Amino acid sequence: MPGETATAIFSEALVRVFPPDVRAVDGLALDVKAGQIFGFLGANGSGKTTTVRMLTTLLRPTSGRASVLGVDVTKEPNRVRSQIGVALQEASLDDLQTGRELLRLQSRLYRVPPNEIESRVGHLLEIVDLVDVADRRIKTYSGGMKRRLDLAAALVHNPTVVFLDEPTTGLDPISREAIWRYVDELNRERGVTFFLTTQYLEEADRLAHDVAIMDKGKIVAQGSPEQLKASIGADVITVNVGDTDGMLQKAAEAVRSVPGLTDVRIVDESIVVYVRDGKSAVAPVVLALDERKVPVEEITLARPSLDDVFLRTTGRHLEAGEHAGAEGGAA
Amino acid sequence: MTRTVTDTTTLTLRALRETTRQLGFEIQNVFIPLFFFAVTVGAIGNVSARAFGVTNYTGFQMPVAVLQGVAGAASVSSFGMVNDIEKGYFDKLLLTPTPRLALVLGRLAADGVRVTLLTALILTIGLIFGAGMESGPLGFVAVLLLAGLFGIAYAGFGLSIALRTGNAQASQAGFLIFFPLLFLSPAFAPKEIFDGWLKVLATINPVTYILQGMRTLILDGWDWEAIGKALAAIFGLGAFTQTLVLTALRYRVR
Repeated sequence: MPGETATAIFSEALVRVFPPDVRAVDGLALDVKAGQIFGFLGANGSGKTTTVRMLTTLLRPTSGRASVLGVDVTKEPNRVRSQIGVALQEASLDDLQTGRELLRLQSRLYRVPPNEIESRVGHLLEIVDLVDVADRRIKTYSGGMKRRLDLAAALVHNPTVVFLDEPTTGLDPISREAIWRYVDELNRERGVTFFLTTQYLEEADRLAHDVAIMDKGKIVAQGSPEQLKASIGADVITVNVGDTDGMLQKAAEAVRSVPGLTDVRIVDESIVVYVRDGKSAVAPVVLALDERKVPVEEITLARPSLDDVFLRTTGRHLEAGEHAGAEGGAA
Repeated sequence: MTRTVTDTTTLTLRALRETTRQLGFEIQNVFIPLFFFAVTVGAIGNVSARAFGVTNYTGFQMPVAVLQGVAGAASVSSFGMVNDIEKGYFDKLLLTPTPRLALVLGRLAADGVRVTLLTALILTIGLIFGAGMESGPLGFVAVLLLAGLFGIAYAGFGLSIALRTGNAQASQAGFLIFFPLLFLSPAFAPKEIFDGWLKVLATINPVTYILQGMRTLILDGWDWEAIGKALAAIFGLGAFTQTLVLTALRYRVR
């Protein structure tokens, strides 16, 4: 990660309010270092896309300030635009053009010198494996091909900071893997800083050097995936008892009677237990449940994952948050 | 300024390429006015001399066909804009350092080019069917110029609605505005025979003067007063519609 100490993306007390009073982003502070892949994790409606739209000059903040590579996004938006690449949520492309035409157009609008356009476009098509279909109209492309083309379009001017808003949502595993590979290579080989919003824990875990978890417009946890997982300071035991006749509550009371547990929570139809030494806690937990005549359907012991971090900080699983939908329409 | 010009050129070429891939729109924009032209001339042409003293009704109707075609062709940019907005491609363009003005000028200039080509086609067909061109080849060019400028001015209605709403149905209203403007003008008979409220509305309707400017070039030759009024009407209409466009653009990129 070259240039680790320089700040690539910065924000301070950044707020965006949508009428009448939806605070989509609420006092956001960011300090993303150059050369990092920064994972911005959150459910739908948590404020991720609103944040990206402000940082990329598409949306004016209600208050606060933000800068990219030291350039203020509201005072000098055009300078910011010249230096960043952006692939928005869902590939935003012109179906009537061919892939090659689209990249040429983007190159001209980003002021790539005319004598370099063809070689740049050819190179990018190779990087994203679209050479064979470059002269076909975009409307014939699959979802994965569109995403790859969108990524290439974000790179025509060799930006050093790239924003990717949920780049793999809805893609099949092979296309997702391909996008991850390009991102990883560009970061390692060219030192490109990526600001990557995602709903996928695996994506954040696999790619990001640093992760921020966003909930209701605020960052509720931040650090490297390892730091965040370590911050739980415990193993996670999940006990599934079903929720018949108040059994869940009875089970929680039983488990809470076991000494030495860090935390016990009811989540959906499960009891989630945080404990420093998971292996030695499983037996006492099962015994406590048995004493209270609580039938156990399933019990698992795991090292903490980012989902556990998400659960601990937001009170729900990321998937559950997705189903909860967007708050006030602010994505 | 240079960037605005170069990016406008780039985006105009993109919009024209888009046109070549949706030729159905253009066929419709030629066919419908020529259909109405043929029907109207067929129905009224034989009685126009006795009814209101117009001997060359084919030439008299020619500008109506031109303006109908122009109004249809000038609506294409608003559909293109709505499509860009709906697909999210407009955001992609906004993310580039291109001047915002170029994003609408590119569409408008493409409309101007398309409208001019379409007018040339309609006028040529009119000439074949005996519409005539009293002002000669230069008059032909002058009609093309008036049509092109009117197309750019008129496109502002649909484009502003497209930018404001991002909605295809709403932007169609930009095209529909044309029909009351056309029917409240001396499209089918000379203004001299109008009376009462229709005469008042025709007098304040800018399409009246654009129509009469073109009609003069086809039927009478170079009447600078009529041409001047046509240009003034186009620029007046253009000032109004382009203000709407700029206001809508500011709304869209705020």
